[in-house]
Amino acid sequence: MRQLFIILSLIFAALGLVLSVLPFGMIALIPIIAAFIFGLIAFRISKKSNKSTKIIKAILLVVIISLCISIYRSVFETNVIEDDDIETIKKEKQSDQESIDELESLEIEN
Amino acid sequence: MLRIFITLILFTSVTIQGQNNTIAAGEKLIFTASYNMSGLLTDLAQVTMETSAVKTSKNTLLRLKCKARTYTKWDNFFKINDLYESYVSPNSLKPYLYKREINEGNYYKFMKYTYNHKSQTVKSLKRKRRKDGTFWEENKTLNIGSKTLDLVTTLYQIRNLDIAKTTIGSSDAFPVLLDNEEHIIRITLLGKETIDTKIGKKECYKLAISMNADNILKGSNSNLLWLTADANKIPVYAKFKIAVGSGELRIQSATGLKH
Repeated sequence: MRQLFIILSLIFAALGLVLSVLPFGMIALIPIIAAFIFGLIAFRISKKSNKSTKIIKAILLVVIISLCISIYRSVFETNVIEDDDIETIKKEKQSDQESIDELESLEIEN
Repeated sequence: MLRIFITLILFTSVTIQGQNNTIAAGEKLIFTASYNMSGLLTDLAQVTMETSAVKTSKNTLLRLKCKARTYTKWDNFFKINDLYESYVSPNSLKPYLYKREINEGNYYKFMKYTYNHKSQTVKSLKRKRRKDGTFWEENKTLNIGSKTLDLVTTLYQIRNLDIAKTTIGSSDAFPVLLDNEEHIIRITLLGKETIDTKIGKKECYKLAISMNADNILKGSNSNLLWLTADANKIPVYAKFKIAVGSGELRIQSATGLKH
C-alpha cells in the first residue's frame, strides 16, 4: 500500500512539474494537488510502519517547486501576441492592394 | 481549433438591414479566447475585430477585419494566425469581397468570395497547401440566396439589427456561406442580462446560436452570445460548445466606437 501511494505521488508530481513548465495555466494544479495528497498518505503510512520517508520528502519538494512555478506563471505572466514580422507586414500590404484592385473591377452600389 | 473559436463568434446570420447605424470605420475590439481544459479555462489566443475605410477610385468601402492569434506562450506548441476579412458597403453593410486565410501550424487554407449581387452568385477561390509545400487551387461559381452572407459580414449585420424591437424568445433562421456550402444558422433572443466585463458592467442581449450542421456547434442552448444593449451592440462575451470541447470569448477592450 505504501509503495502504491509513493508511485502514484511520483507520477502526479512528475506530471505536475511538466504541466507547470508548459503554458497550461492553473491546470497543473490538478496533478500537483493529487501528488500532494498521495504523498501525505504515503508519508503517514511510512511513519506508522517506521519506514524511510526520504523519497516521499523528495517528491513533496518537487510538488512544492511545481506549485511555486505554476502560481508564479499564473500571477506574473501576461498574455501577449507576437508582433508581425516584416514578411507578414509585406504580405498583408500586398493582400490589401490585391483586394483594392479586385474591388475596382466590381460594380458597387454604395 | 481557433478556426472553430472564431467561427463561433462569427456564427450567426441575419437579413440585410437597410442602413448601417452601428458600425463606423476605426472601431477596434480585442478579445481573449479561452479553452476549457479539465474544467479550467486556459487563455489560448487573442481575437481582434477592427474596421477601416478603404478607398477605390469610385467608392469608399468598409473593411471588416477579424484576426485570431495564439499567445506567444503557445506558439511553440501550435501557432495560429488566422485572418478573416470582408469588404462591405459602409451604408448597407452589403459584402463585395470576402477573404479568409487560415494558418494553423502546417495547415494553410485560403478562401476568397467575390460577390455578384445582381446575378446572385459568388465566385469562390479555394487555395490549400499540400504536404510537400506546393499549393493547389479550386475555382467555383456558386449560386447563393439573396440573404446569404459570409461569416464576418453576418456578425456585423447582427450588431446592426434593431434588437430592441425583437420580442424575447423569438428566433429566426439565416443562411451563411461557409466552405462553399450554405448553412442555416438559428438565432434566438433569450432575454436581457447584466454582466461584468473588462469594459465595465453592461446590460446585454443574450442570444442563443445553433446550426443545422451539428458537427460544428453542439447543443441547442450551449452557444451563447452577449451583445451590449446599447447603440453599439458590442459582442462582449460568448460561450461555445464544439465537437472537441468548450470555451469562451471575453472582451478586453473596445475603442473607436460609433456611439
